[in-house]
Amino acid sequence: MPIVRNIRLSLRSKQLLRREGIKEYSRLRPEIKDTIRELLTLVRRDHLLEPAIAYEIYFITETRSDQLSLDGGVVLHAPVLPAALPGVKELAVVVCTIGHKLERKVTDYSEEGEPLRSLLLDGIGSAAVDSLALEVCKLIAHQASSRDLQASSPLSPGMPGFPISEQWQMMNLVSAGEIGVSLTQTATMIPRKSVSMVIGIGAHMPTWTQAEVCARCSLRKTCPYRVQA
Amino acid sequence: MSQLADALASLDEDEVAKLVHEKINAGIDAMSILNECRNGMDIVGERYKSGEYFLSELVVSGEIFKESMKVIEPHLKAGKQADTLAKMVLGTVKGDIHNIGKDIVNVLLRAAGFEVYDLGVDVEPRIFVEKLVETEALILGMSGLLTPSFESMKETVEAVEAAGLRDKVRIIVGGGVVTELVGKYVGADRFTSDGLKGVEICKEFARDLKEEK
Repeated sequence: MPIVRNIRLSLRSKQLLRREGIKEYSRLRPEIKDTIRELLTLVRRDHLLEPAIAYEIYFITETRSDQLSLDGGVVLHAPVLPAALPGVKELAVVVCTIGHKLERKVTDYSEEGEPLRSLLLDGIGSAAVDSLALEVCKLIAHQASSRDLQASSPLSPGMPGFPISEQWQMMNLVSAGEIGVSLTQTATMIPRKSVSMVIGIGAHMPTWTQAEVCARCSLRKTCPYRVQA
Repeated sequence: MSQLADALASLDEDEVAKLVHEKINAGIDAMSILNECRNGMDIVGERYKSGEYFLSELVVSGEIFKESMKVIEPHLKAGKQADTLAKMVLGTVKGDIHNIGKDIVNVLLRAAGFEVYDLGVDVEPRIFVEKLVETEALILGMSGLLTPSFESMKETVEAVEAAGLRDKVRIIVGGGVVTELVGKYVGADRFTSDGLKGVEICKEFARDLKEEK
């Protein structure tokens, strides 16, 4: 099962600010801007990001209204998959993470009584995971296009129609342990800054934007991190 | 608005420190200095609600308040030291390891005058109950970021019931995905997805508890 490391992540300022819960950078206090800059320098200097991707591409052997059966006999019970991915032939199953280092530093700041640094660094970590997820999509899209196929946008456990309990199955479908990702008893990923997803592959795959995903979410009116079209 | 409240509301850390020291040295009642700081925090809260301040500014204000308290607290007269709104037990529920939101709420609750017992993350229902018994706290705040946390919240409410405390203890659940439905499902009294709103709810709890005494 493929593992990808040495991924270069670019932290885009728009993503970063969204993850920091900041709506207008121009109105942000100078000392907070300085702290964000200082933390970004720290992230680079101390190599706090250790991005890694574990993935595998499976042929789909059977499609039902509420599940997809994969090559090897594994079944993903998630009604959203057949509904959102009509004509899907293969499924890329992916788990990716930015590793433990940044999270440890976030915890250190919190324990040292520095909640602002803890909050801002946590936001940087979230933006880094967003960036990593984009890299995953590019990777799978590139692999699909090299075979004259298309890749869909990603779907993750926890989305409507994709029970979070399917995380257990996802972990078995890739070498998650090799990149240091495990689950708590309630299927929460450790490290926290990790993402699991599936991407459909086929002749004509649908894509959607994050704003469209947010618009369908039950938290679309209240989520501080929502993306608007 | 007093100069001190204004300085805190403007997040002017140096000015707040200077004014607090000046007032203490001038022999001004520590409790009135504390109240000025709390007024400043209230204004910060209003600015956050109006969108003028962001979460990071809310955290900065909590930090300034905390530093001020270090200077003010030793000068509070005996008896007034216990001028807390209420005791409260706080934690992220079993199976969830997210701490950032809970930590921010902790800072804000302390600034608002609560005595907070923070149990950290991944807290078993039994531990919540034991802390409620030990501290005689009558408010319980549970945090959880992900949907699986709801089962743990429900289990904790059930454990509070089983311990015979449910009639006395006010329970609030909070987290990014917590909704009214979730609050009802887990059996909490109130819910919030906003930290500042959570503090306001806890203040309401404290008022109710005071009236019931």
